[in-house]
Amino acid sequence: MNMLARKLIAKEFYLNRWLIAGSTLAGLAGLLVAAGGEMRFNIGMVTWLTTIVAFGVVLAMLGIATERKERALQFVLSLPLSPGDYVRIKLLGLLLCFFVPWAILSTGAVVLIGVMPGLPDGLLPFAVLLCGFMLANFSLVLCGALHTASEGLMTLVIIVTNMNVTLFIFLIGGIESLNFHLHAPAPVWNNAFWTVLAAEIATLAVTLSLPYFVAARRRDFN
Amino acid sequence: MYSGINISQTDARPMYLQIMEQIRARIVAGDWPMGRELPSIRALAAALSVSVITIKRAYLDLENEGVIVTRHGKGSFVADVNGLAGELQEEKLDEHLAAAAGLGRQLGLTPDDLAERLRRAIRNMDKK
Amino acid sequence: MTATKHIEMHAVRKAFRFFTLEDLTLELGPGQIMGFVGPNGAGKSTSIRLMTGLLTPDAGEVRVLGHSMPREQAVAKRDIGFVSDDMRLFAHATLGWHMQFVASIYPGWDAKYAQTLVKRFNLRPEQNVSGLSSGEHAKAVLLLALARRPRLLILDEPTSGLDPVARHEVLSEFMDVLRDEDRSILFSSHNTVDVERISDRISFIDRGRLIDSSDKEDFLERWRRIQLQLPAGTTVPDLPHVVSRVVDGQFVTLTTNRFSQDLLAFLGSNVRDVHRMSLEEIFVANVMHHRETRGQ
Repeated sequence: MNMLARKLIAKEFYLNRWLIAGSTLAGLAGLLVAAGGEMRFNIGMVTWLTTIVAFGVVLAMLGIATERKERALQFVLSLPLSPGDYVRIKLLGLLLCFFVPWAILSTGAVVLIGVMPGLPDGLLPFAVLLCGFMLANFSLVLCGALHTASEGLMTLVIIVTNMNVTLFIFLIGGIESLNFHLHAPAPVWNNAFWTVLAAEIATLAVTLSLPYFVAARRRDFN
Repeated sequence: MYSGINISQTDARPMYLQIMEQIRARIVAGDWPMGRELPSIRALAAALSVSVITIKRAYLDLENEGVIVTRHGKGSFVADVNGLAGELQEEKLDEHLAAAAGLGRQLGLTPDDLAERLRRAIRNMDKK
Repeated sequence: MTATKHIEMHAVRKAFRFFTLEDLTLELGPGQIMGFVGPNGAGKSTSIRLMTGLLTPDAGEVRVLGHSMPREQAVAKRDIGFVSDDMRLFAHATLGWHMQFVASIYPGWDAKYAQTLVKRFNLRPEQNVSGLSSGEHAKAVLLLALARRPRLLILDEPTSGLDPVARHEVLSEFMDVLRDEDRSILFSSHNTVDVERISDRISFIDRGRLIDSSDKEDFLERWRRIQLQLPAGTTVPDLPHVVSRVVDGQFVTLTTNRFSQDLLAFLGSNVRDVHRMSLEEIFVANVMHHRETRGQ
């Protein structure tokens, strides 16, 4: 099974290779543009943000819904694994596929903030929370895709998670103890920061373990 | 391989009979001499794309006729065919006569009428 | 382990909203091919999904290669080649990629045989799956299953959508599988000609029930159409094992599922003709008969 799991995860990377490479490059390009400062910073960061969010959505859709719709699911289920194995391997595989570009682009953003003279390091906590949020948001989309076969519900999940991003930025930006230090020259890791981070980790934990207990238990694949 | 044996989908006779006939023909003609080993049931089934059970039946019936001999665990072999040709011909004759009897009944002929027609056919044949 | 049955289903029940599979019991031994025949919606695909672990029975037992399904399906599927006509490969990978993918998962992969099949089926490994015609795709999926040399092949409509040449090639490969008396095949098909030709056993299914399961030769021997011409004023009494009777003036056609010389003798001189029946005719007559007896 371990060998099979590795093969299937490798397949996930292989089938999504252009998406992964393209999104990474687009995000990095956004960071490069952002390094130009002022207006270019805004454009660059919006590109960076949109890339990561869109990548997550497309990855989840292609990886799950399309496989199901195109009946490749039947082919995978003919392999020596149980439906529960399938869900677990899917989850891990797509998570890893997302994680690689996300890690690269998050590191890039952190480096950008630390290195650019015009950007106060006070932005760092906010940036870290934003990156963590996007990982948690993706696992939410993933969790949704694994549990529903309905295209309508899936569309709903995507709309909600997209709205989340904007909501998050406004919400976090509205928290006094966080935005007060945004322009500080050194990062401030205060309670508010740790609380939000903990919430993100909790969301991650729930959305990644739910499929193990629910979707993996599904008995009928018609 | 054994692609010379042909099973026709359009032939009304069942597959096992067609197979038996073709094997018998080869034996009578001498192409498959006495003592020669027949292909294994599974090999012939695969070669002809016909179910194993049909080949089994054909072999079984051929053995009952004495045309082949099966040695358990060793395979099937062509049996002694002396007089086999004659036997087969006589079987064929009986088949034809049965058909004639059936036709005769349909036409409403009596046995004597039918016998007369047979004699007429023999006379015609002698004339040629 | 040649003693183990390859497929055992016992009193299996599976209920859906508009359809129920009821009391399904069937068996397939090693070295056999079973043809699974039934009208659309009869429950063939459902039965097959129960065998491959995609569905869980509501009642009854399913064992494949000695493993309880669906619980032990991960182990069982190591030795099962399952192909369904609505199964698709990954659209954005090549056939060659699929071949190395499957080869890396199954130790039984026979690379040489795979190459032979590529040529025989007229496929190109470097071609993207999305570019394959439906017939080529079907052959590709079969290739991936056959080249693994699995002990048991479970096939749902394997030849639908294939042109006659491809069908001939595929059937030939199936029969090649049976050279090994430890391997077996179960396939469902609408093509009764093919089923009649290569099956050792045949199971008929209709409206969620198994209506008959027997050796093919047994079916072909038991069923007959008997044409009678009756003198004016006589009728043929009700006979057991006469499944249908069609009367057209003096001419009566009886269909029987237990043909015997005794029956012929009983009907005597009224008999004009006796015809064997093709599997298709047997199938239709059998289904009609069962629907009548169940008041449907």
